[in-house]
Amino acid sequence: MSAPFIEFRGVQQGFGGKPVLRDLSLDVQRGEVFFIIGTSGVGKSVTIKHLIGLLRVDAGEIWFDGQRVDGYTEQQFEGIRRRVGMVFQNSTLFDSLTLADNVALPLRKHAGLNTRQAHAEALDLLRRVDMHDYALRYPAELSDGMRKRAAIARTLAGKPEVMLFDEPTTGLDPISARRIDALIRELADSMGVTALVVSHDLPSIFGIADRVAFLYQGRVYSIGAPAALKTNGDAIVKQFLNGESAGPMETPGF
Amino acid sequence: MAIRQSIHRRIYNLGASAIGTVTVVRDLWLLFIGAIAGVLRTMRRNDPSRRPGEIWRQMHSMGNRSLVFLVVTLGFIGMVMVYQSCLQLARVTGDYSQVGPQFIRLAVSDFAPTLTSLMLATRVGAGIAAEVGSMKVTEQVDALRMCGVAPIDFLISPRLVASFITTITMSILACGIMYGAGGLTAHYSFGVNLNIFFDPSNVRNSHVILGLIKAASFGIAIPIVSGYCGLAAHGSSEGVGRATTAAVIGSSFAVIALDFVISTLALLVMPGGV
Repeated sequence: MSAPFIEFRGVQQGFGGKPVLRDLSLDVQRGEVFFIIGTSGVGKSVTIKHLIGLLRVDAGEIWFDGQRVDGYTEQQFEGIRRRVGMVFQNSTLFDSLTLADNVALPLRKHAGLNTRQAHAEALDLLRRVDMHDYALRYPAELSDGMRKRAAIARTLAGKPEVMLFDEPTTGLDPISARRIDALIRELADSMGVTALVVSHDLPSIFGIADRVAFLYQGRVYSIGAPAALKTNGDAIVKQFLNGESAGPMETPGF
Repeated sequence: MAIRQSIHRRIYNLGASAIGTVTVVRDLWLLFIGAIAGVLRTMRRNDPSRRPGEIWRQMHSMGNRSLVFLVVTLGFIGMVMVYQSCLQLARVTGDYSQVGPQFIRLAVSDFAPTLTSLMLATRVGAGIAAEVGSMKVTEQVDALRMCGVAPIDFLISPRLVASFITTITMSILACGIMYGAGGLTAHYSFGVNLNIFFDPSNVRNSHVILGLIKAASFGIAIPIVSGYCGLAAHGSSEGVGRATTAAVIGSSFAVIALDFVISTLALLVMPGGV
């Protein structure tokens, strides 16, 4: 197996004295669709935000394409953010901009296109996610699924090598969710984009993931192909996959 | 033992408060420098970090939409101040000849910029903190960073320019409103001759300069303090609410504190001129 494209080594992170990630280690290969799963609050979103410098580790190392990045400055992270795009949990399109302007912003900033070129390119990207008919609409006028698709188009504008998806199907109807899954898979297959997906949507996990890391108590509890996860006899993994309220799993707050 | 622990705790809390205050002042200063740098960075026409027409939009939001609120409030303040002054003078000397000239001198150098800015601090400060705070808690600020756009350039710099221009303009307007409302009150309530009231001979250049310096400083302080509160918002809607409250209190306090500092400096620099 080749050297990992992305690697987390012994990452620790806490908030307000409460540890969230205790000793998290995982690696992602170039071009794979890698899912990070686990219960709410276990640190899935926190994990991926470290890669792009939106959060800084308390301890541990993060490696990206052979470079250690956890000590990067904000300016150095700008280089990483050109290569790694993120689709946030709530889409986070800019409320004050139309969809076309949302998608055009990174095109003008990263690719240096002028306004007209950026808008033409933005329309093409919106067409890829079937949102070109809504290019002049504002995010507030659209459904969650539409906003998610537009957010994917905006992230694609930077032509990223890696895309981070923070719960891309949460809150969507099953049909929209499967369309988003198909889009993620297509990006990996046709463009070679490495996808790091935070999710607890089981149909997504078993539908498109190459590998899955199950997080529990701030560590990777189990890692492997989805099929192996399904046949894993561990009581905690089984409780999560079966969605059982009673079992050995400790879920703080419940 | 308990007394020693209590003293230690008090000293610790005092030190923590002092460090916290210094940190906030340092962060406000850095935000101010960053916002000025952002203004210079985004001056280029069609810079992607600046939404086209954003400064005009912000000026409209801060100025036009505050117009009725400001005119009514400052008009009434002008009326009350002049009415009370005349009332007191009626009890003492009955000579109203200096009410207008002294009122316009104070309005130009102090009342107009300070009261206008206090009004704007409540309306504009709350608006900035709510908008920036909402963007922060919904991760739109992080999304900006992911798009390669510095949040300060996109969010704070245009508001800084808009507030700077609007506060100066509104202070000049407010001065006229206060003076006019006060003059009409003096004339109709106390029979003061309008020619005597509207006599600006007491106003010197130094008063005008002082008033403009104050308006400009307040116009900078309001978006910086409010933007800082918005960017510091965390959590959910409750966090935005806290940020909005902090912005109104912080901006108002900044206006009062700056008024004190600038007035003191003016007295030291030109003792006879103010």
